[in-house]
Amino acid sequence: MKKILALILMLAMCISVFAAAHAEPVEVELWHYFDSSNDKDMINKWVEDYNALQDKIHITATYVSRQELMNQYAIGAISGELPDIGMVDSPDMASFISLGVFADITDQLNAWGELDNFYPGPLSSCMDSEGKLYGLPQNTNCLALGCNMDMLKAAGYDHMPKDLTELKEMVAATSDPDNGVYGMAMCCIGTEEGTFQLLPWLRSSVGGQGVNVDNLTAQSAVDGLTVLGDFIHNNYMSKEAVNWTQADAWYAFCAGKAAMVECGTWHLAMTGDINGSFNYDFCLLPTGEEGTSTSTIGGENFGICTGCVDTDACVEFLKWMCSKEKEAEWAVGAGKIPVRGDSEAVYSYETKGFQVFVDEMNYAQARGPHAEWPTISEAIYTACQSVFVDNADPAAALAKAMETIAPIVAENPLP
Amino acid sequence: MLTAPFFRKGLDIMQKRMISVSAQRRKEAYFFILPAFVYILLVMGYPMVYNAVLSLKNMNVKNLKSGASVFIGFQNYAELFGNETFLLVLKNTFVFTIACLIFQFTIGFAFALFFKQNFPLSGIIRGMILISYMMPMAVTGLLGKNIFMNDGLVNNLLKRIGIIGPEWLTNTTSSLPAVIIMNCWVGIPFNMLLLISGLTSISNDVYESAMIDGANWGQRFFLITLPLMKSAIFAVLMLGFIYTFRAFDLMYIMTKGGPLNSTDVLGTYSYMFSFTQFQFSKGAATAMVLFACLFVVGMFYLHLLGKEEE
Amino acid sequence: MDTLMSRKKRILCSVIAVLIAFLFLFPIYWLVQLSFKPDMEAFGRVLTYYPHTFTFAPWMENLDDPVFMTSLRNSFINAFLTMSITLVLGVPAAYGMGRYKVRGSRLFLLTFLISQMLPASLTLTPLYLIFNGVGLLGKHVTSPIAIAASAIPFAIVTLRPFFRSVPVTLDEAARLDGCGPLRAFFSVMVPAVKTGIITIVVISFLNGWNDLVYSMTFNVGADMRPLTANIYKFQSAYGTKWNCIMAYGTILVLPVVILFIFMQKYIVGGLTAGAVKE
Repeated sequence: MKKILALILMLAMCISVFAAAHAEPVEVELWHYFDSSNDKDMINKWVEDYNALQDKIHITATYVSRQELMNQYAIGAISGELPDIGMVDSPDMASFISLGVFADITDQLNAWGELDNFYPGPLSSCMDSEGKLYGLPQNTNCLALGCNMDMLKAAGYDHMPKDLTELKEMVAATSDPDNGVYGMAMCCIGTEEGTFQLLPWLRSSVGGQGVNVDNLTAQSAVDGLTVLGDFIHNNYMSKEAVNWTQADAWYAFCAGKAAMVECGTWHLAMTGDINGSFNYDFCLLPTGEEGTSTSTIGGENFGICTGCVDTDACVEFLKWMCSKEKEAEWAVGAGKIPVRGDSEAVYSYETKGFQVFVDEMNYAQARGPHAEWPTISEAIYTACQSVFVDNADPAAALAKAMETIAPIVAENPLP
Repeated sequence: MLTAPFFRKGLDIMQKRMISVSAQRRKEAYFFILPAFVYILLVMGYPMVYNAVLSLKNMNVKNLKSGASVFIGFQNYAELFGNETFLLVLKNTFVFTIACLIFQFTIGFAFALFFKQNFPLSGIIRGMILISYMMPMAVTGLLGKNIFMNDGLVNNLLKRIGIIGPEWLTNTTSSLPAVIIMNCWVGIPFNMLLLISGLTSISNDVYESAMIDGANWGQRFFLITLPLMKSAIFAVLMLGFIYTFRAFDLMYIMTKGGPLNSTDVLGTYSYMFSFTQFQFSKGAATAMVLFACLFVVGMFYLHLLGKEEE
Repeated sequence: MDTLMSRKKRILCSVIAVLIAFLFLFPIYWLVQLSFKPDMEAFGRVLTYYPHTFTFAPWMENLDDPVFMTSLRNSFINAFLTMSITLVLGVPAAYGMGRYKVRGSRLFLLTFLISQMLPASLTLTPLYLIFNGVGLLGKHVTSPIAIAASAIPFAIVTLRPFFRSVPVTLDEAARLDGCGPLRAFFSVMVPAVKTGIITIVVISFLNGWNDLVYSMTFNVGADMRPLTANIYKFQSAYGTKWNCIMAYGTILVLPVVILFIFMQKYIVGGLTAGAVKE
């Protein structure tokens, strides 16, 4: 009897192996919002490569703009109609995990055994409050300061700002608003992008300890916001910053409209926009005393969506995409920083600039992760904009933001 | 040739006839109306009910997955009306709508009367200014964003004539006017188009006989044009109100409702609740408030129509 | 009245008309000229009123995009389907409501009006659920179905007064000649309200062409998206690349303008013919 059973079992196994070998690959849908030519071409090529590499799944990559992707996930959370693999901006991941957009793949990833190589910050953005994993970080980045060295020189400086006091001096000295030139450019827009760029200043450690977003009434946060408010009110920073995206601020810098810009790692792949019209350099974001800095961690995660046709096979793709070698390749190609400590990105361009950003990562903090981050974020940029636009008192504005944030973090504390 | 009295008489006959034939031809009418009616019920009825139910729950980012959202009655509405941002948004929506309606309608009507005249360029230019109406709102919004930059086209032109322009889109007091101007740029040709259609359906003979009777311009306008255009005017104002009140694309592209909610209207605010903050029930409640405002105006319109048609 | 216009007045009117045209068309000029500027001039410190350096680069960036032609086709499909649904359902309904006194006409009108009152944020999710349920997602007809739902009531509300103002003698005569209701509708009523119908054709076509929110939500695949849904790509990581955006905007407006130029004769003809004299 046992023999017969064993025989049947073997037969069944043979058939399944046979069937698997001849099975058509399963069609899998991947959504991303990589839209600069570097990122876009690379993801398309990678997907092709991976399709050729194995025959379990056949991936189709579809570009969906960031805002649309958010809408699709939100509607998808209700209707259940989702792609198989989805990309998401790291601070939004917690919300989508909470909405049930992504599947729990903790077991598959733990079995992989390579999680220890990932930096804890980016990895934590893929977790829920219980520590379960719903995806992998694919790239990371942070913010630093870009400087137009010719303008600094013209104002009598031969170096970049080392601390906040010096930044304030230099910003004032390089501003010439009558000719449309400002000392500083950054993005203060009323979206997540604005929060991303504003946070380093709110977390500034000037005159004390830097604070997180659950304690924005602290004096250091008020001081940080006051500095930015003064930039705008003294015409050292264009008031347009409240409508600028990060790319707009970057273009203002490239066009010679700003002496300094708060910029991201990916801008290193876009220095061609400057077109050799001036000398530039990068330094740590001078938000406090000399030798210290604050910055925000950015980056994109990939997760497997609930209802995926073949979760295990798609996790294999994630593991391949976030492998040691691929991480390094992506970082170099797209101007990002690998999310793994064991990946060695050898940048062939802007090597000095990348060194600054890699250094800055040591000071960079994550947003959340928190399921209600979008609401927290709105409170933050609203407070800052009310200072810039309505001349509100920074302390009062931040106190008002805390009225929104405090009950949220009281219910579910930040990690 | 139809003369004014004849025209009047024709209307009378028509109305009497309609009543007499109504009984026998009622079935025919349903044959014409019902397909559209059923279509609308199918496509719009469900969203309506879905949204009304959702607005009474507390569905949000925390409880969607677990399905633990519960009915909380009118609490969402109560919270909204206690929220000063929402009240600002409500005010913005009314200011925006009323300002746009006034400018669009009066200027649009003036243009319609003007371009209805027979002069060499009337046809071509009338067609040409329709282009701004034909443009996708997405492009209009972007164009508005560009020309209302602080050092953009509008302020540059103002500077040339010695005026220091406001900081349009970076100021809470001037951002809404900028959006209103952009909307009127689209709305004026739209009003003109609909009103010209209405004007041309008035026979020239009516005017001719009035002129023979010695009526001046004002008399002709107030005694012939306005009364004969009454239902067309109602329709234009009503539709104008609805489209302006539920505006979304323009703000969404041009200002994202900012700075500081100064250009947020109910349409964008409700969208933000649902799709940025994932507070689905709050978003639904905001949309219901928008709907309720339009519903009141719609009932008023029906009332006027009913009075006129009886 | 028209024929009585004096020469002096005609010239004055023409001058005013040119001024109006200038005011309304200058922003369009602005849009077009920006699309021919190189990056540095488009974001430059000095505002220029025409491209000092002339370039086709922003245009090439759009035209080189492999999905461009597909999107263009999709835009036309969107517009034609929206227009067709609106005409097929809207015109008869406007006729039915304008010419007949039926029980429940208030209810009908109210329903049609209400469907205009629902903002996009309200309809998106439930419509998505419906379309998903009946397997309509990712089909060409999906967005037009949703867009037509707001174009039909518009057609009814604007056409109804037209049908009401047609003298009753016209269709009575047709009836006496032995026409059925359908014949009378097509051969007498529709030609009599030509003006209004042309307006509806134009506006419902534009509704379909210009739609952004529905097309974005119901069609995600690149091969299904119309032009409007793609304009976003110049607003994200690239930032606001004004010259590229404006080139895209010009491309979006161009087909409609060309269509208009060819149809101008009919539109203007239709608008001035007058319904009663038919």
